Amino acid sequence: MSQALQAGTAPALDPITVEVIGAALSSIVEETGEALIRASYSTNIKERRDCSTALFNAAGETLCQAEHIPIHLGSFIGIIPHIMRRHAVEEMRPGDVFVGNDAYEGGGTHLPDIVLAEPIFVEGRIAAWTVNLAHHSDFADRGHAHIYQEGLRIPPVRLYRAGELQKDIQDLILLNCQVPHERLSDLRAQMAANRVGVQRFQALCGKYGTETVLAAGSALLDYAERKMRAGIAAIPDGTYAFEDAFDSPEIDGTLPFSLRVTVRGDGMALDFDGPDQMRAGLNMTYTALLATVYYAVKSVVDPTILPNAGLARPLTVTAREGSMLNCRHPAAVNGRLQACQRVSDMILGALAQAVPERVTACTNSTCTVASFIGSRKADGALWVYLETMGGGNGARASKDGLDGVHVHTTNTSNLPVEALEIEYPLTLLRYELVQDSGGTGRFRGGMGLRRVYRADEDCRVRIDTSRLHSRSWGLFGGGGGGHGAVECGPGVTFTGNTAALQAGQWFAIVSPGGGGYGPPERRAPEAVARDLAEGAITAATAREAYARTP
Amino acid sequence: MARWRVGVDSGGTFTDVCLFDEEEGRVEVWKVSSTPDDPSRGIAQGVEEGMRRVAPEAGEQPGAPVAYFGHGTTVATNALIQHRGVRTGLVTTDGFRDLLEIGRQKRPDLYDMQADKPPTLVPRDLRLEVPERVRHTGEIDTPLDEDRMRAAARALREAGVKAVAVSFLYGFVRPEHEQRAVAILREEMPEAFISAGHKIAPEFREFERLSTVVLNAYLGPVMRRYIERLTPRLQSLGMTVAPHLTQSNGGVIGFSTAADMPVRTVLSGPSTGVVGAQAIGALAGFEDLITFDMGGTSTDVALLQGGQCKLTSEAVVHGYPIKAPMLDIHTVGAGGGSIAHVDAGGLLKVGPRSCGADPGPVCYDRGNTEPATTDANVVLQTLNPTHLLGGRMAVRQDLAKTAIGQLAEKLGLGVMETAQGILSVVTANMARAIRVISVQRGHDPRDYTLMAFGGAGPLHAARLAKELEMKRVLVPRNPGILCAMGLLLTDLRADFAATKLLTADAAAVPEVAAGFAQLGQRAAEWFGHEGIAPKARRLTRTADMRYQGQNYELAVPLPEGEITGETLRTLTEGFAEAHRQRYGFVAEGETVQIVTLRLEATGLVRKAELKAYPEAGPDAAGAITGQRPVWFPEAGDFVPTPIYSRDALQPGNRFAGPAIVEQMDTTTVVPPGMNARVDAYLNLILEVTA
Repeated sequence: MSQALQAGTAPALDPITVEVIGAALSSIVEETGEALIRASYSTNIKERRDCSTALFNAAGETLCQAEHIPIHLGSFIGIIPHIMRRHAVEEMRPGDVFVGNDAYEGGGTHLPDIVLAEPIFVEGRIAAWTVNLAHHSDFADRGHAHIYQEGLRIPPVRLYRAGELQKDIQDLILLNCQVPHERLSDLRAQMAANRVGVQRFQALCGKYGTETVLAAGSALLDYAERKMRAGIAAIPDGTYAFEDAFDSPEIDGTLPFSLRVTVRGDGMALDFDGPDQMRAGLNMTYTALLATVYYAVKSVVDPTILPNAGLARPLTVTAREGSMLNCRHPAAVNGRLQACQRVSDMILGALAQAVPERVTACTNSTCTVASFIGSRKADGALWVYLETMGGGNGARASKDGLDGVHVHTTNTSNLPVEALEIEYPLTLLRYELVQDSGGTGRFRGGMGLRRVYRADEDCRVRIDTSRLHSRSWGLFGGGGGGHGAVECGPGVTFTGNTAALQAGQWFAIVSPGGGGYGPPERRAPEAVARDLAEGAITAATAREAYARTP
Repeated sequence: MARWRVGVDSGGTFTDVCLFDEEEGRVEVWKVSSTPDDPSRGIAQGVEEGMRRVAPEAGEQPGAPVAYFGHGTTVATNALIQHRGVRTGLVTTDGFRDLLEIGRQKRPDLYDMQADKPPTLVPRDLRLEVPERVRHTGEIDTPLDEDRMRAAARALREAGVKAVAVSFLYGFVRPEHEQRAVAILREEMPEAFISAGHKIAPEFREFERLSTVVLNAYLGPVMRRYIERLTPRLQSLGMTVAPHLTQSNGGVIGFSTAADMPVRTVLSGPSTGVVGAQAIGALAGFEDLITFDMGGTSTDVALLQGGQCKLTSEAVVHGYPIKAPMLDIHTVGAGGGSIAHVDAGGLLKVGPRSCGADPGPVCYDRGNTEPATTDANVVLQTLNPTHLLGGRMAVRQDLAKTAIGQLAEKLGLGVMETAQGILSVVTANMARAIRVISVQRGHDPRDYTLMAFGGAGPLHAARLAKELEMKRVLVPRNPGILCAMGLLLTDLRADFAATKLLTADAAAVPEVAAGFAQLGQRAAEWFGHEGIAPKARRLTRTADMRYQGQNYELAVPLPEGEITGETLRTLTEGFAEAHRQRYGFVAEGETVQIVTLRLEATGLVRKAELKAYPEAGPDAAGAITGQRPVWFPEAGDFVPTPIYSRDALQPGNRFAGPAIVEQMDTTTVVPPGMNARVDAYLNLILEVTA
């Protein structure tokens, strides 16, 4: 029988032991992440590192999250309560591994993010959980009217029971995947990662004593809470409102999103509203909203706060249920990241009124995704390739925004050109920064990226992005960033956000630029001259925005 | 007569010279201040003074008796850290000039919006594109546009660049386009330093390769100028032997190779320490070592298994990815000067800020009021509370105590608990660094001996060993000059690699054999170039392998002898075992691939042979110079502790902790529960009491 250990009876700890155990927990999640990436097969994990690892306590609170992809926290905080709800803790055994991805019955944020969670037993009881998530680039070329079109829904079920693979479950999952061989290999890598997590956490308990480790875990949550409260207390009290318009190639026109942030003392309340949930894959589950808020508020308040559940305690997060920002079954969620990125920027926009020096102007506000699917000429096997592109970051109070980087709730690597062309029948023709895409300002917004693909075999492509029509806003007189675009070569036509490509055809994706900060007329002349020399801006912009004659 | 082997480690503050008399087996040490504006001056001065002292008979040719000259340098590292390389141009495949700036598109810090990437070393207007395209299969899609290439070369010449990097997609598969580009650049700008991808880093993943080539170009003229200054200075001392320089892989190379490939020397300094540790460990009989080189502002750690430190083929150094053979050395920005503070959440933190050598810790009384790790040691009296550096420098314990007292108040702890707490946090940070190179690579630190050196290593080593449950600590006789000494114990070494994607089965035999034959050819040329006698040549072969579909490889050693089907079987079995050890599973039935063949070429040099000293018995009482109260957490109080003079300790001497051992360049703490003994080479060995 097993019973979750409680940290209540814990020994009193000095701050030094807490610090030492905190460092150990961080190294455990780093190590599990490294094992996952190195043992994996799919380009999305092994090169693009679209995966995350974390440790949770027995009560289902985040102890430590590795510095991978912030949105993945949503799936982590969601899955443990669902496991507890479906499965009796006293029936869990060492070597049980739960797999899950569902947005409504598994706490996930979209279906390709498959979580493996394993209880860590110490002295016969569950002391903690090791969890990891891999974004399996599968479930491609789907509909998004509701979640049933988006892929296989997996509630948390045992993939391993007491160390024994449940092959029936695995077979069921694999049959629903387009590239089953990659899925199997990546699931194995996820197992390897959890194995590291279990062993290392048990060793830590062996060394310091389980009670001490658990007590330190609780103390670390308290510590994160204290730092968050101290940071919020330093922000002037008040209510700060912000609105933005959301656009996506999945929908016509724009949709209004709004936010009211109330800072009072050492607490912060964030209340969001948006339109009713849509028949499009753009809806956010509540856990996706929470993960987004935790990321953005921590970044503004104090980026050094430990990424654990304690930082959430001073925060109250609300959004109308059934709206796009807090959706209900059966809303589709695949492209939720587009909304998450917009929500992050709205938090910056609201807090800019209170702490202008800590925020950036609007980032490129999106995560530009291109997903390809085709069938190999040689053997007919399906291939799926997912790429997410960075864009411009927002300019800052004292410096320019970063060019061509991932922002906010994602931070994956690109796939190297040489890896891309070896693995898939595609050729990358150009990969470059986009001139004039950074918003003008005393400090310039970051530049967007352009990636030009040529199909070497027939395939289909789908683009998910935002800011194709609207622009990322500048702050305090700064100009907006350049908008995103899809450029088509001869013969290529997009219907909505998808296109069929024939061998030899090309198209380009352009990601948006970031907003500028401060009035452009205050930009240092040498910075304008450098931008001009480097081709970051055109002569026309130098003349018109900066009143400089080249 | 030439009988002196000379090693010089040129650091930021001091230049250490280690002189070894081949006939007598005697080591002499000389230290001079470094001359950062032109390090060659300090080096020449150090060699001259050192040699005049040990070999006065050489008269006005003090360098004449030098039989070997080895040198570890921070010239490339410093130029990189301070961004003092030359104005550099870049030529890329059409469409990819921004790759240098985009990198892997990740932002520099996940949460900190104010963080910046390291500066891009070639500005966008000096990054030029030329039409050309090779496929991954080696087919040419678009031939090199030579007119555009020539125009690019002329444009870079007009722009006044001193170095040019050329890196095309798949240049490592088929180098003709890069070779032609280099030829055109040489015609148009004969004075420029030119680096090409296929020469510098002929490996897969275009951004990391590009970063390496650019760094090489950026540092090239700096290293060349340095060598051009140092060479005549050494010659004017009458030195006739060819000087050598350490690479990041721990082996030495001739000056001309170093001038062509400066990117291979960015870890020259720390790798020399690892080599020194390796030699000392071998003499002392310990081959499984974790090195712990703790200085004032940074600490380097490395792991040696069976006397060998693992090579990595890629690492990020000062923010820039480098594909070059490097010892797997992990550096953390923490040392004796790291500052302790209480953060907003009320926890005690140490570093990353450091007080440096000036103003130094609070106890130096030069105006700093924030306590550093050194201050904690002075308060605990693990360090001498009145004087450091063998009495040369007075310290103010009262000031250190006041500063730590202020921290203690914020923490609600006592002063002594806080001072001890600072050491505990430092120890935890160091333990985390060691985990990176041990546990994270599948090694259990408990199976290793901790070798401590650098000014602060021996002071913290025993605590660190305890944290990691390591049983033994080895403190070499001269912890402060181990790097300089390492130079006298280093073989010549070069690494050759060829990327070859093959399925690891019997059908691959001809390709693998041909690949190694080709690498063998390159190694033979290098041996010839370095003038290494045939009997002093050694070759080690490894293959980087993975399951088809993975993108990270595991290095598997090849058995000796001719390559046959049996060799391939041994390789795949070795790979399966390595995979099981690392990831916990073997994917039965999956295809195993060979990705890169590697050949490590070693030219054995005659090394300094340290002399064993005669046994003098266990009684160490003669080395006791006094006693002082030292705070030990085991007692929770000050404990009367004997102070030993390192210089007076004799082979065979034994004593039990608590004890403090003082010498000019470091202090060793022997805590309660550990015994110390002195071996025949005067190493101090600390072991946990059974």
